[in-house]
Amino acid sequence: MSANEYRTPGEVLGWASEYVAGPGTYVWHEKVYASVVGLLRLTPAATDVEDQRPTIEVTREKERGAVPEPGTVVTAKITKLFPRQAAASIVCVGPRAVRDKFTGIIRQQDVRATEIDKVDMHTSFRPGDIVRAEVISLGDSRAYYLSTAKNELGVVSATSDAGAAMVPVSWQEMQCPITGQREPRKVAKVI
Amino acid sequence: MDFISPEGLRLDGRRPFELRQLHAEIGVLDNADGSATFEMGNTKVIAVVYGPREVQNRSQQQLDHALVRCEYSMATFSTGDRRRRGKGDRRGTELSLVIRQTMEAAILTNLLPRSQIDIFVQVLQADGGTRACCINAAALALADAGIPMRDLVASCSAGYLNSTPLLDLNYLEDSGGGPDLTVALFSKLDKVTLLQMDAKVPLDVFEKVMNLASEGAKAVTQFLREILMENTKKLAFAKEPLKV
Repeated sequence: MSANEYRTPGEVLGWASEYVAGPGTYVWHEKVYASVVGLLRLTPAATDVEDQRPTIEVTREKERGAVPEPGTVVTAKITKLFPRQAAASIVCVGPRAVRDKFTGIIRQQDVRATEIDKVDMHTSFRPGDIVRAEVISLGDSRAYYLSTAKNELGVVSATSDAGAAMVPVSWQEMQCPITGQREPRKVAKVI
Repeated sequence: MDFISPEGLRLDGRRPFELRQLHAEIGVLDNADGSATFEMGNTKVIAVVYGPREVQNRSQQQLDHALVRCEYSMATFSTGDRRRRGKGDRRGTELSLVIRQTMEAAILTNLLPRSQIDIFVQVLQADGGTRACCINAAALALADAGIPMRDLVASCSAGYLNSTPLLDLNYLEDSGGGPDLTVALFSKLDKVTLLQMDAKVPLDVFEKVMNLASEGAKAVTQFLREILMENTKKLAFAKEPLKV
């Protein structure tokens, strides 16, 4: 079985005794079949494992929309503020834009790393702010739990009352270039 | 009425064992997870797939396999006389059921528990063989959506007129009063998933017509595979510049 070829559902890829069926394949009557359209790939087994069969898989060429996963850094827009949490809608996962709607929640204790019980949500975010945050868990059925408790996470873009994009002046303040007014935020240290 | 001329040609100039011109396009809609149009001669069908997604009606959720839903409709402009067909007509509900069952057999539903797959099929132009055309379009749309399937399903119809088995009937032949048989196959697994015929015929005739329809379905599968390969290569090429 040669790799780097395209396969369509139902095509026989080989014997189940010779390959481990990976994603995009299935085993039926001791044979491995393709179940999606895509590129055939073979991955050799790790040397220290007893099962030395290579893994066979069929990977799709069509890109699906990005989906947030725990550990990934996302870009989100704050939609609502509550005393104990902020709701955000996720717009990007890493560098990729999302296709579906994903909501995230930044809880009070996840805003910053220190003095987490003294956090005031209203001095950390404002609706409309663009924040960079890390996904900490899949959360409940409604929203992902996000965290900005790192230096490089927090507000990256915010507009002032005057409508101008504000400039960060410290890790907890941003300043309006027009009026000079300072507003409190949990600012991200963009690297 | 003579459906076959003395030269052995049918009304539209085909030979008895000839399929109509096949044409397919994949990924015709951007918003859907998978979509395709499929044409068999003048019959044209669009199929759109949404999913796997969360089950809309919680009470229908199944814990061990996916819920497959199908909705069949005919565009008002699809036939010669403009007629408004409601969603609840008998033919429509029966066809939705047939398409759903055929697709459910193909999809590896046990891999997608607690989810729902919606298939919408609409006939844009009807000229006989809509049943087969709908199944082919739905199969392409499902493959485009990347839903895991046992095998590609392909379908074709066949009939028996003027003592001759005819492959892939058009509207005129379909309304000619002879038996009309639709077959859907898993060609690689060599299994029949759908067989429909609403007429009485002698067994030997049935066998001939059935074999002809199966051969037709196999030819359609070949075509579907080629189209899917071509589309995948195109997608791979479009992705290329990103891989630096």
